[in-house]
Amino acid sequence: MNLIHPVLATVLMATGISARAVDAYIPGEPADGTFDSIAIEFLDSHCLDCHDDITAEADLNLLELGPVDETNAAIWKSVWAQVALREMPPKKKQAPETIERLRFADWVVGELERVMEDKGGFYAHLDPKKGNYVDHDLLFGEMPKGIKLKPTASPARIWRVTPQEHITRLNELINTEPEFDPAKPGLRSRGDFIPTNHGGELKLYFGTDRIIRWEGGTVAYATAVKSVPVVLSSDRKHGLENYPDFYSVNSAEARQIMSKAEDILKYMAYGPMSLVGFPEQITDDPKTYDQSTKPEGDLRGLPTAIVYNTNVVRPLTPVYDLMKESGYSDERLRAAVDYLFEALTFRPPNREESDDYLEITKASIEKVGKEDGVFMGLSSIFLDRDALFRPELATKGKPDLHGRVMLQDWELGLAVNHALRYIKPDDQLREAIVEGRMRTREDVEREVTRMLEDDSVRKPRVLRFFRDYFDHDLAGYICKDTAALGKTGVQQGGAHYRAMFDAAASTDRLIELILEEDEDVLRELLTTQLVVATVKDDSYFGRERTKEERAATTKEKQKAEALATAEIAEERKILTKEVNALEAEAKANKDDKQLQKTLDKKQKELKALVQEMADMKRKAGANFDTRVDRATLSGTPEYVRVSRRSFGAGSMKADRTLAVAPAGQRLGILTHPSWLVSHSDAMDNHAIHRGIWIRENLLGGGIPDVPITVDAQLPDEPQNSLRERMRVTREAYCWSCHEKMDPLGLPFEMYNHAGLYRTEELDKPVDTSGEIIDSGDSDLDGPVSNAIDMIQKLAESERVEQVFVRHAFRFWMGRNETLNDAPVLREAHRAYADGGGSMNSLIISLLTSDAFLYRSVDH
Amino acid sequence: MIDRRNLLKGVTAGLGATFGSSIVPDIAHAASVTPGLTGTGGLKRVIFFMQNQGFDPKTCLPTAGVGNDGSLANATLPEPIEALDPFKDRLHIINGLHGRHTSPSHSAFFGALGGYRGSDGVPPSASTIDYELSKVLPETLLPHLCIGMDSMENMKAKPTVANLSASGAGQPIFMHSNPNHLYQMLYGGISTGDIRKQHEARSGMFNRIEELAAAKGGSLPAVDAQRYSQYVDGFGDINGLRERLGSVSDHLRDFAPEVDSRYTTPVFETDWHDSLLDLGISALKSGITNTLTIGSGRGEIFGAWKGLGVEQQGHNLGHMKQPDNPIWVKIRQYNSRMLVKLMEELESVPEGSGTMMDNTLIVYTSNNADSQHTSGSNWPVMLLGNPGGAFTTGKLTQLDGKRPINALYTSILRASGVKVDRFNMSDQMAAKFDSGTGPLKEILA
Repeated sequence: MNLIHPVLATVLMATGISARAVDAYIPGEPADGTFDSIAIEFLDSHCLDCHDDITAEADLNLLELGPVDETNAAIWKSVWAQVALREMPPKKKQAPETIERLRFADWVVGELERVMEDKGGFYAHLDPKKGNYVDHDLLFGEMPKGIKLKPTASPARIWRVTPQEHITRLNELINTEPEFDPAKPGLRSRGDFIPTNHGGELKLYFGTDRIIRWEGGTVAYATAVKSVPVVLSSDRKHGLENYPDFYSVNSAEARQIMSKAEDILKYMAYGPMSLVGFPEQITDDPKTYDQSTKPEGDLRGLPTAIVYNTNVVRPLTPVYDLMKESGYSDERLRAAVDYLFEALTFRPPNREESDDYLEITKASIEKVGKEDGVFMGLSSIFLDRDALFRPELATKGKPDLHGRVMLQDWELGLAVNHALRYIKPDDQLREAIVEGRMRTREDVEREVTRMLEDDSVRKPRVLRFFRDYFDHDLAGYICKDTAALGKTGVQQGGAHYRAMFDAAASTDRLIELILEEDEDVLRELLTTQLVVATVKDDSYFGRERTKEERAATTKEKQKAEALATAEIAEERKILTKEVNALEAEAKANKDDKQLQKTLDKKQKELKALVQEMADMKRKAGANFDTRVDRATLSGTPEYVRVSRRSFGAGSMKADRTLAVAPAGQRLGILTHPSWLVSHSDAMDNHAIHRGIWIRENLLGGGIPDVPITVDAQLPDEPQNSLRERMRVTREAYCWSCHEKMDPLGLPFEMYNHAGLYRTEELDKPVDTSGEIIDSGDSDLDGPVSNAIDMIQKLAESERVEQVFVRHAFRFWMGRNETLNDAPVLREAHRAYADGGGSMNSLIISLLTSDAFLYRSVDH
Repeated sequence: MIDRRNLLKGVTAGLGATFGSSIVPDIAHAASVTPGLTGTGGLKRVIFFMQNQGFDPKTCLPTAGVGNDGSLANATLPEPIEALDPFKDRLHIINGLHGRHTSPSHSAFFGALGGYRGSDGVPPSASTIDYELSKVLPETLLPHLCIGMDSMENMKAKPTVANLSASGAGQPIFMHSNPNHLYQMLYGGISTGDIRKQHEARSGMFNRIEELAAAKGGSLPAVDAQRYSQYVDGFGDINGLRERLGSVSDHLRDFAPEVDSRYTTPVFETDWHDSLLDLGISALKSGITNTLTIGSGRGEIFGAWKGLGVEQQGHNLGHMKQPDNPIWVKIRQYNSRMLVKLMEELESVPEGSGTMMDNTLIVYTSNNADSQHTSGSNWPVMLLGNPGGAFTTGKLTQLDGKRPINALYTSILRASGVKVDRFNMSDQMAAKFDSGTGPLKEILA
């Protein structure tokens, strides 16, 4: 039924609104129209039947809405989300034409951007979490007539370097990392990322490769060594972390970068001598320090507690050359400036830049002398724009008909380098840039292919993509309630958090192993039976015992303890009797010193016997884990990339085993403790987060933001399972959204919140059922019996593969896809599929696409 | 249908008329360095004094004379804090808060002021209370100053460390431990000799960096230009702070401490501790800052106080029992003298109808709860001062160990006019760790 009044229709036609309906729709073009000409028609046709002053479903009366302004921006944002995601109008109602829907959504976004411009801005549509708001079926299916795509490009922009990139650059200045060892490819080598330390903190360590002795334990070591936390900030949250528009550098960060730059420069010049209190601390024979200047007393936690060897291992650079001699020359100074500039910005300075920093350093030297002036002056280079931001401005070249310019030379070379690496371009890439061989699509393909094929060229950005995609590296940051953790059967306290940081490194390595094969990568990640494990992972990959088993194991344990201590228990009985008798005798004969002496001796013997018995009991019981049926994880040795020694003997260890998970209990990374705990909370599993992850990262669906009126709390009922407590989300108001996540997250109830497999929850059979609802692929929809069943289905889906490609696109382009990117995405998926599920093919396709190579410069 | 459309249009006109102009409040940024000109009373400045290795309640609970209502009027303070006796009327001893959720054994690090799990090597998971207060207190040139006291070797080798304060998740705030550097930052503009030269060299360099940064922002797309301007403006802040400090140099001259041999040739680490305290006090008195965080032991489990005659240093200090231990009596007495000095100095500056101290709150506690190896089931705290009459004072409050330190921080935020019921604690965590909501009613007037 045509709901538009005939007279009004005439008016609308006169204003050109209907005429627009036959115009081609070009994604990305500003939505031309007003509230009157676009919104009223759309709301009237598709929304007001349910959301007017009479029905006001969900307490929403859109008659009161009015044009977009700052007071109703939140409601308009919801309207946009519901329409873009095709949640509204509901399926039982007539859906708007695709182009009508797209135009309306564009108009809402445009209006929100306009009215919020000076009120903090509107950026929700740019957030990677909203990437799926672009219709998957349009991207990969048939594009309706009337939609005209324009050649794609990414905007000209600058990217602030990430904390990880920044600290890796700084690390290159002071630490020499080992070269890649093909025999132990998992070990950290030059070009790999700087891993977080034992506590999960990202830090730059000074001189730890030369420490041969320290005093005290783990904490004393951690305090005594020099380390600097990462200065650049980033919000730790789920999902893609690095779009160019996320971050800037604030004044506090700039000040700290400057301050730490001087520490770095001093270390570059003098090595550990810049860290010690006494030169004698640098020796290959620590005794010489002990016998000379070492201070008396407790040195734990102090720099003077450390002895460094004399083996110079740090990079010796022009900064070292400059400071090893008295005085300075312009030549030496410029060499230091140019070296630092390239080390920090990844490109050589032009003459003007070199002159600028030379002049700053000379001015500082003039004021405060060479020693302080050099360090002060050179530290300014650490704050150069290009040391903190990577420009992709495409200022060279003429725009094509669509206002696009292709990146070239250093900008293109550094974009390619940044796509894969954290350290500066290798010699071959540098040479290509300098010689003008980084200007074409073929140039990019040549360099990317070369780097992907060479294992010794470390490519930590690829691993970073998988961390952002899976979020398996957050487990160590999930604060666990001690009692709740204790019930899971794993170690409590610091040991658990360290196990989780170890687990993240293990999962990283498993991903790398699958990438090395480069076949069916996503499917393998989702379904592999392999695990990379530490010796302590037998608990985490184990099975939580049932109530019956706990009772039986406890009994067995007690029996074994009794058996092992049977003989000594008899001895103890006799000795106890003897001591009791002696005590009574001694009480009656207080002056009998010999008797007292005998009593003391016997009491000591008894005490020792009690201790020995306790030890025997502990030893006999140690083989029984009453809570966990531990996994047998035997296999071949593996190594993972862990941090420099940060915690003395308690530092993270690289040794791992590549093993097979217990049969029928695990299937791929989503069933590993690292992923499960990353998607849990203090007390329990987080079925909602897990469901959202499946919905967004595998099915390509979107979930509108939680309405502010929702009190998103589950009842505190420790006697009930999570599934039972989640009944509140099944209320009608909540369920329209929660049906998209809960049934996808609840199948993971087959694991407890430390990631252990279980068959019972609260001593009853655990319910692991779930359902894939409204996935967009009817073959997928339907009930699932547990997480393994669900993952098996998902892993076979082409849609899931396409969604994976969409996430890869976002990561490498640094932005959300638009409809104009459909050809790039289709080609990338084709490359992946034709390559037999090859990640390398996918990356090459993306990095040689227009979206990667071109920048729109029509600003 | 037409009626409905017309109604929509009618609403449009009405809203346009009502909200046609901006309703975003105009926030004034009055960066005054003259005490007393900002705010309208109540809490104007706050000091957090965090002694490491734990704060054993026996070193602060009165030995006798506490009234039935907890009054300290006739109480006898124990030897370690007896220097505070003249200030009993504005002292509030709180025993029985907890920090079990902060994992405080071997220090809760950022978790002590953040009220969340912290540990060695663990980055801050949210901002800390001192930073949050610095944002809401009357604005100053330097909203938040952190100083850290440690062994001489550590202060020289690592003159800035970050263990206690944070402006957000993964965003640590560094403590200053070298008084020469801090003096240069605060008073370089009025200094002479080498400090002056360093100051001038650094000023020239920062000005030049700002110029270079600004020049490289010229050709950026509009969106990036805005983001990049935050970076350039950052240098503006740094240079602006120096210039603003320079512009009030006559005023600062009245407050800047004298640089003496304690700065340049310290005999003991306590010479630098004292100098750092002097700089902190001067920054408060001069109005440079309104939030001071003092980390004695810098949030870790080491530290040294040889200047007090304490020959032992570092970790062993934490293994000792504190009550009746001459070593800990000396350290706590030293802390108490510092607290007295802070109060006396702030009392010496008139502000409004009273003194600066009348508008100041000092929070004294430990980053280690009650002892070095602790579960955090008790976290003793002393509050000094009663800004704006917001707090109850002159009393001992014994709590039941069911409210977390977060509740104390909520209370201080409330006293600062921030309407919050919890600080850094989700409802889920609160269900486990907090028996109540909102501020500690026992400490607010």
